[in-house]
Amino acid sequence: MQAAKRSRISRMGIYTYAIIDSNSKISSSINGLGGAVVYNIPYRNIGIVVSESEHVQDIAQEHILKHEEIVEKLMEDFTVLPMRFHTLFNQEKDALLMMKEYCGDFRENLDRLRNKKEFGVRVIWPGDIKRNRIIDAYKKSNAGADMPDSSSVKSFVKEKFEEYKIDKEFEEEADKYIALIDNFFSRWACEKKIEKLKSENLLLNAFYLVEKEKEEDFKEAFERARDICICGDLKYLFSGPWPPYNFISLTKKTLHQRLSEADMFGRISPEQNLLNKGML
Amino acid sequence: MDNVITKSKDVTLLEILDRVLDKGVVISGDIVISLADVDLIYVGLKVLISSVETMERLRGAPFAGGQEEPN
Repeated sequence: MQAAKRSRISRMGIYTYAIIDSNSKISSSINGLGGAVVYNIPYRNIGIVVSESEHVQDIAQEHILKHEEIVEKLMEDFTVLPMRFHTLFNQEKDALLMMKEYCGDFRENLDRLRNKKEFGVRVIWPGDIKRNRIIDAYKKSNAGADMPDSSSVKSFVKEKFEEYKIDKEFEEEADKYIALIDNFFSRWACEKKIEKLKSENLLLNAFYLVEKEKEEDFKEAFERARDICICGDLKYLFSGPWPPYNFISLTKKTLHQRLSEADMFGRISPEQNLLNKGML
Repeated sequence: MDNVITKSKDVTLLEILDRVLDKGVVISGDIVISLADVDLIYVGLKVLISSVETMERLRGAPFAGGQEEPN
């Protein structure tokens, strides 16, 4: 009863969509969650795109899709760092405090990700069949070698060792496939993130960061991979272009930390230099 | 979302959920708290629970063909 009551509590706040490499007004009219106007709060030479929103506790699929839609619209005109869904502040000044704290990080990421987009490649393989084949081959090669063993400890150790060898062979086979596929796609990418065997059948979940000018080449590579069927019995799922969700790297270094680090090494950081010149 | 190459709506939704709910700029709570007076409300658990359920439901169709994965 109390939980149900709590779920209905809502109050106004600032909903955040993305950090962008501009402190200008957004020229096109965009409506965000709840139909509220989306606008940019400038901070130095960057900005955080927000809309006024209720702190609603009941999240629906349409809210998630709306968030993505806004970020993709912004991506047409700006370099974007998408915020994780449902990051809210009470007031604009709170969002600005966060911008102040992370400004260096945001600038570094915006510079690194300028004119780049993310693509996703998921590869499904018949992992269960592959494993069974390895087990069968292993059994055949050991046929006749099985000796009756009265020691339960010995048989336990033997069983574990066999499992280890099967797992190892399974992973080695997966690695061979992944290397072939990754080599193929890496040619067009400037950065990548690889997740191996997240489940038995999900061989590869990869993210590639691609420069805008190579976007079409990368899409063609998708088609070619499908056509030539790299590694035969695999199923490919491609997606993109996406905002660079998987390539944002925050070091959480604040301006204060940067200045302290520079002091430790007796260096003058770019920030200190600007501070000395009275530009910060 | 119009640009998404994947044809299946379910797969597209899965890809969106994967990114929007779990990736992007994640502001660390303790850092924010240490700023004093910044009240960052982040709905984590509720959204994640529903997203996992959705992903599991979706994963059954496009990824494993509705079959359970072998143990």
